[in-house]
Amino acid sequence: MSGTLTLDDIVAKTTDLPAIPAAAIAVMRETDLSTSTARSVAEHLSCDQALSSRVLRLANSAYYGMSRQVTDLQESVVLLGMRSVRNLAVIAATYTWMQRPMNGYALEPSSMWKHSFGVSIAAQLIAKKSKSCDPDLAFTAGLLHNLGKVAMNIWLDRKLAAVISLAQRDQLAFDEVERKILGYDHAEVGAHLAEIWNLPESLVVAIRYHHRPNDADPTSPVTDCVHLGDFLTMSMGYGLGGDGLYYNFCPEVFTRLGIESSAIDEITDQFMDAYSKYDSLIEEMTAA
Amino acid sequence: MTTTAVTVGMAEIHVTKGVGIFTCPGLGSCIGVCAIDPITNVAGCAKIMLPESFPDKQVDKPAKFANTGIPELIGMMERLGAERTRIAIAIAGGAQVFRFGSDCATSKHDIGSRNVKAVTDALNRYGLEPMANDVGGSNGRTITFTVETGIVTVRTAISTEKALANLRDLTGNEDV
Repeated sequence: MSGTLTLDDIVAKTTDLPAIPAAAIAVMRETDLSTSTARSVAEHLSCDQALSSRVLRLANSAYYGMSRQVTDLQESVVLLGMRSVRNLAVIAATYTWMQRPMNGYALEPSSMWKHSFGVSIAAQLIAKKSKSCDPDLAFTAGLLHNLGKVAMNIWLDRKLAAVISLAQRDQLAFDEVERKILGYDHAEVGAHLAEIWNLPESLVVAIRYHHRPNDADPTSPVTDCVHLGDFLTMSMGYGLGGDGLYYNFCPEVFTRLGIESSAIDEITDQFMDAYSKYDSLIEEMTAA
Repeated sequence: MTTTAVTVGMAEIHVTKGVGIFTCPGLGSCIGVCAIDPITNVAGCAKIMLPESFPDKQVDKPAKFANTGIPELIGMMERLGAERTRIAIAIAGGAQVFRFGSDCATSKHDIGSRNVKAVTDALNRYGLEPMANDVGGSNGRTITFTVETGIVTVRTAISTEKALANLRDLTGNEDV
């Protein structure tokens, strides 16, 4: 294996790259404004009919326990709240391509989705506990943290076993092997895509440094929440592929987030409780 | 007789008498415990999430924790007629992340290793010891336990299925 592909090559050669609808990005930006209203959020969402219908279908899932069918976007924002609709918009914008199998990482159908959703729930929980950053930003960062794998998947296809062997032989984490071979890893590719999508800088940083949060300069609470959330989700076995748990964990995130590291079991328990509450929503999406 | 296939989810315990196939997917740091009394054909499978329950919090699902899940598994099997001293066990899982930064691998953060120890300790309190185990490392695992044959197999995302134990072979022979 030789590092002949540049990061731009990887992105350019991948014809099946994920795309996040402009309407979803507009909703994310709108909900960050203090002037946003149910009407303004609904207006952005309604620019994309496919996205709107997916959001409404999720809003009507058993998870939200609506007493009647909601068919109006503005009404869904009023009933669920702006932040929930924002999160649903990001979910609806990503789950179709996250459900695909990825042979390059030996990920079965829905595995990428289950893992990403797990990290989003865990990162949101950690952000709430630590009061270190906006929990919804942590949620979005968690959902998108591995998007670079979609592009790297094509390159890794049929090379996974060799990469794992190299990791074991040289005692390297999976992302370290990616960097050793190519000069960049799936996190860097994901950050590159996020920049192309013009996502907020805080999300780009969280995606880029989710495996090495100590290297972010300055360090970022959202990145720390995603790193810890990723650790918990891997530990609980959600959506593991061929790269398994071959990643480093940086315990420094506990100090920066102001969380006692001895509370890790309790946080894991709370994470699992939170995750299980979404069962009906997850079923709705994986059945789509 | 129909063989029932059961997927054992997070913090779940399933038991059966007679036949059945238990599959315990997505084992990261969690532990899959397969158990059988080969004489009465009572078998069970549990997916343990964490080592110890919290003193100040009521346990909603005993199988979440090793210290409550193992007694629950044994108790459920005994209620179906299993004899404790005859129960044969195999365990798998307990993986951990590749490296814990500057911290040592035996730290509090290593849920996988602590789970392995806690499950083993809980079994020892019943005078039981795993006949076979496939624990540690950094791979996710899926285990399958066919009650009728007693065979437990393990696979990872990058490896084909391999035999771990035959829990009906009381000589401890793992050639299945």
